[in-house]
Amino acid sequence: MKKTLAVMACCVGAAIATLSSASAAREGAGSAAATPGVTKSSIVIGGTFPLSGPVSGYAPIARGMEAYFNYVNNRKGPDGKTGIRGRKIVWKYYDDAYNPANTVQLTNKLVLEDKVFAIVGTLGTEDNQAIRPFLNERKIPQLFVSTGASYWGLQYKQFPWTIGWQPDYIAEGRAYGQWIAKNSPNAKIAVFYQNDDYGKDYLRGVKIGLGAKKSLIVSELSYEVTDTSYASQIARQKASGADTWVLLTTAGTPTVRAIATAKALNWKPNTLVINSVAATDAVMAAVVDRVGADFVSGAISSAYLKNVSNPKYANDPAVKQYRALLAKYGPSGADSNNGFYYYGVAKAYDTAKVLFNAGKNPTRASLMRAALNMNWTNPYAIKGVKDKTTRSDHFPLSQIKLARYTNGTFTEFGPLIKGR
Amino acid sequence: MIARAALIALRLLPVAVTVVLVVLIGQRAGEFRLDEFTYVAIYFAALLGLNMLTGYNGQISLGHGAFMCIGAYVAAVAVLGRPGLALYGHHPPDWLPVGDGMRPVFTIPLAFVLTGAVGFLFGIPALRLAGVSLALATFAMAVSLPAIAKKFENVTGGGGGVNLPLPHTPFGWDISTKRWLYYEAWGVAAVLFVLSWLLVRGRVGRAWRAIRDREVAATASGVSPAVYKTLAFAVSSAFAGAAGALLAIQVSYVNPDTFPISLSVLLLASVVIGGLGSLSGALFGALLYEFLPIYAQEPPLVHFAFGKQAPAVVFGVLLILIMYALPGGFAGAIRRMFAPLTRFLRERQNTREPILEPARRGEA
Repeated sequence: MKKTLAVMACCVGAAIATLSSASAAREGAGSAAATPGVTKSSIVIGGTFPLSGPVSGYAPIARGMEAYFNYVNNRKGPDGKTGIRGRKIVWKYYDDAYNPANTVQLTNKLVLEDKVFAIVGTLGTEDNQAIRPFLNERKIPQLFVSTGASYWGLQYKQFPWTIGWQPDYIAEGRAYGQWIAKNSPNAKIAVFYQNDDYGKDYLRGVKIGLGAKKSLIVSELSYEVTDTSYASQIARQKASGADTWVLLTTAGTPTVRAIATAKALNWKPNTLVINSVAATDAVMAAVVDRVGADFVSGAISSAYLKNVSNPKYANDPAVKQYRALLAKYGPSGADSNNGFYYYGVAKAYDTAKVLFNAGKNPTRASLMRAALNMNWTNPYAIKGVKDKTTRSDHFPLSQIKLARYTNGTFTEFGPLIKGR
Repeated sequence: MIARAALIALRLLPVAVTVVLVVLIGQRAGEFRLDEFTYVAIYFAALLGLNMLTGYNGQISLGHGAFMCIGAYVAAVAVLGRPGLALYGHHPPDWLPVGDGMRPVFTIPLAFVLTGAVGFLFGIPALRLAGVSLALATFAMAVSLPAIAKKFENVTGGGGGVNLPLPHTPFGWDISTKRWLYYEAWGVAAVLFVLSWLLVRGRVGRAWRAIRDREVAATASGVSPAVYKTLAFAVSSAFAGAAGALLAIQVSYVNPDTFPISLSVLLLASVVIGGLGSLSGALFGALLYEFLPIYAQEPPLVHFAFGKQAPAVVFGVLLILIMYALPGGFAGAIRRMFAPLTRFLRERQNTREPILEPARRGEA
């Protein structure tokens, strides 16, 4: 059998010899003239989303965007043509199951095989972090990422082809800190946060907002996404004597479980603050189911988009138009009260607008220039919230309002708060 | 003599075909195809290891994703080194020999050795477990390792993970980076293939199979299950470690979410679909692992109404169908296809030189 091995070695050796000589010549060929993803009749853009797996609750974002792009493809734009200056938007999105390794591979597929013009709206802090160097090296726009980490807007010198969209977590946390410092200057605060970059960004914001009153925090404990019980942490927070409870959790199970645990431990803080990502009307309804309306009535959160499930907006023209376009172009049976469809539509609105502003013959550079020259009002955002970017301001939406939970819905109150 | 030569040729044929295909793809394919087949090589390497453990030695591991995780972190930390981690604000403890950053390709053998050592240590207590209990122990490892990686943030970057520097063709070679990554992955896979072939065909492989088939009989014949089972664990986790390092280099990003439990489960499923106890089976498994999830999202021929949820469904249905139709996996089916020819040649050969061939059913 020694012979067999020798033959195998020869095969491999011969193979390597041929490849090292032959392949080098073909590198770098290919036409440089056309912009990838842009033809006479179409613009191809794409992103990845968790359509399956534990956080597939975010999947409606991609489908909301799809609905809006379908709508754009069928309506006449400002120049009287359908789509974007006569080009149809082709929206490609894949399921990465929230796994960064999949995000990288599928983004490679979008870029190399589907030849997208730009990556838009990819969801997840870590997932976007994984593809950011690759996209920037190739000078491919990474637009309007679906995550509120602060560094999308902050690290633009290092990553000029990346831009965020929603108000960042630090800004939001700061608003809570300021509100507590002003309204209950003698509070005893317990903070319960998710132990990752997301939760820590929020926590940092809360501390910045409290400023000199940082010492009001008497307890600061965290949980892991994989934890199945928070009883020990929350028992300690109760024992700390805190009267103000700041929850920096993710939507769904963690939020519901944290509040249900407090109720089970007979702890009822006077003031409850819940971050906006965790506190949607749907999640709150699940909480009320478990602990009763009393417990969470008056809870404080924040908002930058109109709350679709709030009766206050039932007759709002933008919300009505959203419901109509989702019914017509969205997936069948889509629940228009699900805020994630709305989020997707609002994001797609800005995407279509920057695609239009990128000009008649858009290039990746002109798209990026358009994305850094935003100055308009997104009709789906709260009144007064501006979409504004400049070369040195990479935070498209950066204003929020505080919101209070009453009668089964969040209603915003107070003045607009500038995040940046 | 002719019969013997023909038998050898028949056995070499799949290897030769694979080598030719790999070279052809390397030369002709565009960037994206190269990318896809780089992943095939990575999973091939991991499945080769798992196949030795499960296919040849009969130990079930639901934790091979965890060994890939270890290999990936070894590569990531070694590539970044202390200065690289410092950029993220992470400062590993002084006693840890993290180094000052390494060329990515050199981290592969490092990951191989270190993950192998972990596998060896894990193999010692695992010896006392068998069958389902062992599967559960390895599963526990797959569940807990990502959480551990999160805990030791100063070394691993925690939940936020770490970006490796984007890969570049080293040594001033004049080929594109994607092509370099492709050859790097297939080069490693080839070395591991030869290594596993050498192990499986000789004394070690015979001992592994003997333990798999009848542990008591193997012990009675002087084979020590303790030694060989631990060896199987160590070797197979070393393979997974090398694959993990390749994955980290390819993805150029590592965080705990990169190694979900489903990775371990799918690896085991792929090795079964490919064909247990067959080295070529690992290749089929790797092809399936890579292409099924991607193309199930956009099926080329049929349009599924359940759309984007389809990958898992297709994978599940296919697994059931294959287990039903091809009990030996793809490799088994191919072997059966060539069985009449092989049998004919063997008989011709055995009339001249009788050899104990029946024990050879573990090879392809």
